[in-house]
Amino acid sequence: MSDPDRRKFLSIATCAIGGGVGLVSVAPVLRVILDPAGKETVTSPSAPLDLGPAARFVAGEPPRRVEVIAPVVKDAWTAARGVVLGAAWVTRIGPRPGDVDARSAICPHLGCGVGYDPAQNNYLCPCHDSRFALSGDVLSGPSERGLDALPVSVSADGRLLLTWERYKIGQATKERA
Amino acid sequence: MTSWVRERLGAAGAPAMLEGGPSFAYVFGSVLVFLLVFEGLTGIALGMFYSPSTTDAWGSVAYLQDQTTWGWLVRGLHHHGGGAIVVVAGLHLVQTAVAGAYKKPRELVWWLGVLLLVLVVVWAVTGYVLRWDQEGYWANRVELGIAAGGPFGAQIQQVALGGNDHGNLSLTRFYGLHALLFPVLVGALGYLHVKVARRHGTTPVRANRTAPRFPDQAVRDAIACAVALAMLMGVVVAREGVELAAPADPSQSYDARPLWYFRWLFELRELAGSAEKLVALAAPAIVGGFLVALPLLDRGPSRRVRARLPWLGGLAGLLALIGALTMMSFARDANDGELAKRQERARAVAARARELAKTHGVPSSGGQDVWLAAPGARGRKVFADNCRGCHEDVERRAPLITAGHGDRAWMRDFLSDPSGDKFWGRTQLVVSQPLAEAWKDSWLEFLAPELSPMPAMNELDPADMDAVVELMYAQTGATDVDAAKRTAGVKVFGAVCSDCHELAFEVVGQGGPNLVGLGSRAYYFDFVGNPKHPLYMGPDRSFMPRFDAELSIEDRAAVADYLVWLRTATPQDLAALDGP
Repeated sequence: MSDPDRRKFLSIATCAIGGGVGLVSVAPVLRVILDPAGKETVTSPSAPLDLGPAARFVAGEPPRRVEVIAPVVKDAWTAARGVVLGAAWVTRIGPRPGDVDARSAICPHLGCGVGYDPAQNNYLCPCHDSRFALSGDVLSGPSERGLDALPVSVSADGRLLLTWERYKIGQATKERA
Repeated sequence: MTSWVRERLGAAGAPAMLEGGPSFAYVFGSVLVFLLVFEGLTGIALGMFYSPSTTDAWGSVAYLQDQTTWGWLVRGLHHHGGGAIVVVAGLHLVQTAVAGAYKKPRELVWWLGVLLLVLVVVWAVTGYVLRWDQEGYWANRVELGIAAGGPFGAQIQQVALGGNDHGNLSLTRFYGLHALLFPVLVGALGYLHVKVARRHGTTPVRANRTAPRFPDQAVRDAIACAVALAMLMGVVVAREGVELAAPADPSQSYDARPLWYFRWLFELRELAGSAEKLVALAAPAIVGGFLVALPLLDRGPSRRVRARLPWLGGLAGLLALIGALTMMSFARDANDGELAKRQERARAVAARARELAKTHGVPSSGGQDVWLAAPGARGRKVFADNCRGCHEDVERRAPLITAGHGDRAWMRDFLSDPSGDKFWGRTQLVVSQPLAEAWKDSWLEFLAPELSPMPAMNELDPADMDAVVELMYAQTGATDVDAAKRTAGVKVFGAVCSDCHELAFEVVGQGGPNLVGLGSRAYYFDFVGNPKHPLYMGPDRSFMPRFDAELSIEDRAAVADYLVWLRTATPQDLAALDGP
């Protein structure tokens, strides 16, 4: 083999071996870094959460803000107790114990925390001024849909049970996230 | 293609030349650069999972190790890659020494190399503690203990630890050192080392020959890197990565061993006896001092090996000593049967801890509480501290409470022989029976019924027995209740049991406890709080103390959970809860 030919072969061999070493080095690293994609690393409880006696929600009173607290949340390696998942606005809409309306306090627009405006007796999102009626419907502002109703029920011993769910934000239809 | 790349990189023109031609003797530096970059890559992946706090560190490593794809592999590569750097750095050092490349004018390159070797080894120490398992935690305590004996030891220790003791600041500091400071420091000094070495060129292996670095030397470097990577992969796969011991626990003794490249020092300490502190500091100082002094001592112009035999012999002697001590240390451990047993147990504890972390998660209070994550575990701990002496130990004076407590078989056994050894047999109810018998015909007769234990229900028709067992079992809140049998049980209860017991809420029985919800969480919670309540044992029939003030609400709830858990637990479950 002539010298230039030998050098050419060596050049290609160097690049091939070096490339191989690079690939073998990078592949496991990338695989591990991508591991959490598509995984449920933070679990939310699917079972209903106890919000206390249903009777404490009284018709005609302003909506009550209730913190939604999960007994246990598995967050990657941690099993945390008493984790605040979010908040719900709860109003009584009828006489029967189960006639209670709960709305997620997450704004369907871009996910800020919606507050209650006592002056106008409706909900106001502080980020982009979306207003919602107590029924949850949009009154004004950029939100494309009303506040999301959360599933509630009442247990045999009269306690209000709420199922915490998150919905996709920034769209007109309510869809679980 | 390569010329195209070279041109774009601005490297066109005369290629860098290598005096004396290419050689496999020169590959070690390149392999070191590769391994350091490799440690950086794998380190980045680890950094995306690691959480440097005493509560989270172990859990985050356990998560990476056991709950991700290839996490164990990357962790193993990073760990053993560190060992590979020490090996290759050693080879690099020997090659340089044999070639006489430390001689004038290359002293600075040599000294930078020695400094880099020290830094790399200390770098490894800062990484070993991060996992916050028994191994890393105890090894770090020992290492800092040694450092504290040196000059400015106390100050070094406090700065490294971030205060007076191992804690959150220690981990953030070691993480900062390991992932931020050392990469920059070693990177900068390494760059300088390579840059100055390139200026001087190699000490030619052959005279009158020169060749371009690329590809002549580069192909040898690439082959060496590939071999190093293959060997590293082989080690990691064969050893299944790197171990992760149980979470750091200052209360447990542990046979901590340093990283293998410190084993020679470890052995030297063992041999030194009372002089161990001095030896642990002096030995590295002697080795380091010899390496630093080598270019100053061996000043002759000749690079021929034969001309430098005393100096190379000294180096070889030191390395042989280090090698021998290392082997002695491993041999000492291998011949220690007691140590093997303790290590076996430690492995079992680690496996159990990681299994718990995987199935239940690590409590937010930290890795050392991983034992409390399993169902029943918290209550088991409270039970062990407060109840076991009376209810489980051989010397117990009260009914046995163990796996299967409150299940159908337990109910049946109890009804068949309530005064049996497992039940009231050792309590005053039964022990004082002869007294009650004696009192029967005396003026104390009115006291006797108070002391009567429950009669055995042996004469019950088997179907009735089944029914009343089912009724009692239904009280526990179990979901697998036979409704028909339970209903039949209500009748039997009315006929046989209701003279003494009640099955209505809050109604005090005539001599026996109210049985509504017997074996349920609420029942246990209230009973343990105040067993002498009229609803339960009443003021005179039980020695069991009240626990409503003794235990916190959480602890009492945990005990109640534990007692409920026992109903469906097997003796194996209970043994597993107590751990290896």
